[in-house]
Amino acid sequence: MSVPSPSVAPVLDRRGFIKIGALAGGGLLVGTYFRFGAASALAETAPAAVASFAPNAFISIAANGTVTLIAPNSEMGQGAKTALPMIIAEELDVPWDKVTISQGDLNPAYGRQAAVGSGSTPGNYGPLRQAGATARAMLVEAAAQTWGVPAAECTTENGAVLHRASGRHLGYGELAAKAATLPVPADVALKDPNDFKLLGTRVPGVDNEKIVTGQALFGIDQTLPGMVYAAYVKCPVFGGKVASANVDEVKKLPGVRDAFVLDGINGLTPGVAVVAGSTWLAFTAAQKLKIQWDQGPGVSQGSEAMAKQAEAFGQADPGAAVPAGATAIEAAYHYPFLAHATLEPQNCTALFKNGVMEMWCPTQVPSAGQRSVTQGLGLAARDVVVHVTRLGGGFGRRGSNEFSLEVAAIAKRLEGTPVKLTWMREHDFAHDNYRSNGWHFFRAGLDSAGKVVALHDSFVKMQGGPGDMTGGGFPFNAVPGSQVQSNKLSGTIPTGYWRAPGDNGNTWATQSFVDELAHAAGRDPIDFTLGLLAAVPGAGAPGGPAGARGGRGGGGFVPAKMEAVLKLAAEKAGWGKKLPRGQGQGFAITHTNNAYVAVVADVTVSQQGVLRIQKLTAVVDAGLIVNLSSAEAQVQGAMLDGISAAWFQKITIEAGAAAQVNYDDYPLLRIDNAPPAVEVNFVKSIAPPTGLGEPGLPPAAPAICNAIFAATGKRIRTLPIADQDLKWA
Amino acid sequence: MSSFNLNVNGAVHAVDLDDNTPLLWALRDTLGLVGTKYGCGIGECGACTVLLDGEAVKSCGLSLKKVGSAKVTTIEGLARGGKLTAVQQAWCKLDVPQCGYCQGGQILCATALLAAKPRPTDADIDSAMSGNFCRCASYTRIRQAIHAAAGQPTAAS
Ligand code: FES
Ligand code: FES
Repeated sequence: MSVPSPSVAPVLDRRGFIKIGALAGGGLLVGTYFRFGAASALAETAPAAVASFAPNAFISIAANGTVTLIAPNSEMGQGAKTALPMIIAEELDVPWDKVTISQGDLNPAYGRQAAVGSGSTPGNYGPLRQAGATARAMLVEAAAQTWGVPAAECTTENGAVLHRASGRHLGYGELAAKAATLPVPADVALKDPNDFKLLGTRVPGVDNEKIVTGQALFGIDQTLPGMVYAAYVKCPVFGGKVASANVDEVKKLPGVRDAFVLDGINGLTPGVAVVAGSTWLAFTAAQKLKIQWDQGPGVSQGSEAMAKQAEAFGQADPGAAVPAGATAIEAAYHYPFLAHATLEPQNCTALFKNGVMEMWCPTQVPSAGQRSVTQGLGLAARDVVVHVTRLGGGFGRRGSNEFSLEVAAIAKRLEGTPVKLTWMREHDFAHDNYRSNGWHFFRAGLDSAGKVVALHDSFVKMQGGPGDMTGGGFPFNAVPGSQVQSNKLSGTIPTGYWRAPGDNGNTWATQSFVDELAHAAGRDPIDFTLGLLAAVPGAGAPGGPAGARGGRGGGGFVPAKMEAVLKLAAEKAGWGKKLPRGQGQGFAITHTNNAYVAVVADVTVSQQGVLRIQKLTAVVDAGLIVNLSSAEAQVQGAMLDGISAAWFQKITIEAGAAAQVNYDDYPLLRIDNAPPAVEVNFVKSIAPPTGLGEPGLPPAAPAICNAIFAATGKRIRTLPIADQDLKWA
Repeated sequence: MSSFNLNVNGAVHAVDLDDNTPLLWALRDTLGLVGTKYGCGIGECGACTVLLDGEAVKSCGLSLKKVGSAKVTTIEGLARGGKLTAVQQAWCKLDVPQCGYCQGGQILCATALLAAKPRPTDADIDSAMSGNFCRCASYTRIRQAIHAAAGQPTAAS
């Protein structure tokens, strides 16, 4: 069996190459190996960054015809573990029920294994198609040689090669051993996407039966013989350290095995570890810790002071001018810090034995977890073995891997004993890498005809982390001379990747402000946006304007695609109905991860101010849809996730620490507030698939806020919505 | 420390644990039934839902002392003899799980609802299921799957 190694493989182009070898049992093994130069560089310099996708996948076909695929990146609900093998099965012409999927451990042979940035499907689509088609071509060749007929006379169907002229057929399993001896063809024909049979259908998740019967899948479910249970308590003030702790007292509590301070480990936030005979005993003992913290300078930080600092930026900034004669419109928008609040709290399991750290990690980026352990504990990468478990939600949280180093540091002290570290929910809220807060100070000018003649934005966020405004995206690219400035708050609040980084807050602000401008201009908001889209330089050109970027899609923004999804959403949602006061429709658009999404929301707001979301209508152009079931679920879930955050959630910082400690003060959307109707429409396309785990999120909140304005005349400029008074008379 | 005879999924298990130990942790760490999940520990999220004599309850706030001799059903014990219940089948077929972490609790809660109200309305579903968070917000399909398990045509998607 041939396993490519990054040490011998140079950085290759996107086509990559195919490796092949025989399985011990006489099967055929085909792997694709490819790396993206940019992705590698990004991952090297920023371990927790949203890397472009750079995996490595293997197909094996056993003599009994079973096809096995190693899913190289983590499953967290986005459906990659089902969608990726579907791509291979399609090109391979193998029945779906013959495919077995196995989750890959961290292994250099698979390249970079990062499940971030909605990259799993777009990153794997081409290489996996090629892997499937290559295997199919070799099986055909094996059959042709066996029968002594030209390969061109053979076809494939349902996991078998057929020679119709003679009525012969051989199953893939029967051909695997012979195929493994053949040279790998350099170029193979891929299917015409119009002929796809499996892709685009609804395929339920491969782990569904295990989930509905409660089998151990998640990191928190890992159980090893003789395992002990740990809790780890860090200073609630960001940057604080342990001055002293009553560890000797806590060690004597019933069921407690050990308690100790961890400090001075490279990359580890200092804290106190408690190890006990069960999670419950570890948690209750952790609550009995009396710790003197050295809080450090971080204690002076607070959300109120940050708001003042942001205001000062907004006022100090002279801003770009609005032309004489135009009506100036100014508005300030603010969104708060958000926690990820994955339902499975952060956790990790490790065993240190014979110099090897073996780990079971619910992580989106296993290599980053491994690196933190090698760097923190001075272990070689080959001595840190990482198994990847299912993730009880990711949303970007598990791109950072503090839990890996924490449990490894504890396991190293308890050599020979397996340790499971579980974060108490309170610690999970206190030590997140939050979605950054942000402020937009907009200034626009409308001429007497209601045309936007100026559009400027002064943006402020916490320093570090993603989510910056770069300018150049829609709607700024529709208005010549537009200026976007970006300012940073000083501070040490840890921020990180949160589903649809940047767009998750900035699209809310910009799409709300565009709605304000439409109303100020006395125009229908959809017509107004269509006018802006038509003003993007190069709009109307088939390939879209050169260099124009929208959202963080990274690709060229094609206004015509945006226009098409918006028009279709308006039609599907019955846009433009005359509605009584208290009912309203609103919409918003985004170009995120290269997908184009328009969302129309129908809401009602009672006179007492009670908001009900009646219906969401989404139209999505995400290229070819691989698995219609998970694609639809991702858009439904992403929209509701965006609404959940915008409606209810905020993390406020008080005296350098997060003020919210559990779900009772950081509520998630519950089923009784979920809209009764959620409609997701995909534009039929055979273009390569874009990302889809995130793009549904950004437009949902502004669509709701714009609908609230239509219903009540109240403009939401500060989130969450629940903090605003929606009463009307 | 006390001895308890816990009746879980049709079998009696003798355990020696502190009286205040929540059922959640006895199930997960002592009996190895990890299908019951920890989410918040304060009764907010519903990830720890089990059936207690057929009623959906949150096991993170239920001490062993209070469990007594009641019959506990966890998600592992719902399918008897390897046959999935109608609720479990509907969950698989309609592809409800996203990350899946909340779904054991959702399924048990839906099972208790359908036992009490075999033909629930959307309003019945919302009121019975609103104690169970889904962080992935799979609510649209949860409603559809409950209707499907009840043998009712699904409401508007
Ligand atoms: S863990 Fe029991 S309700 Fe959340
Ligand atoms: S499926 Fe992820 S929490 Fe419900």
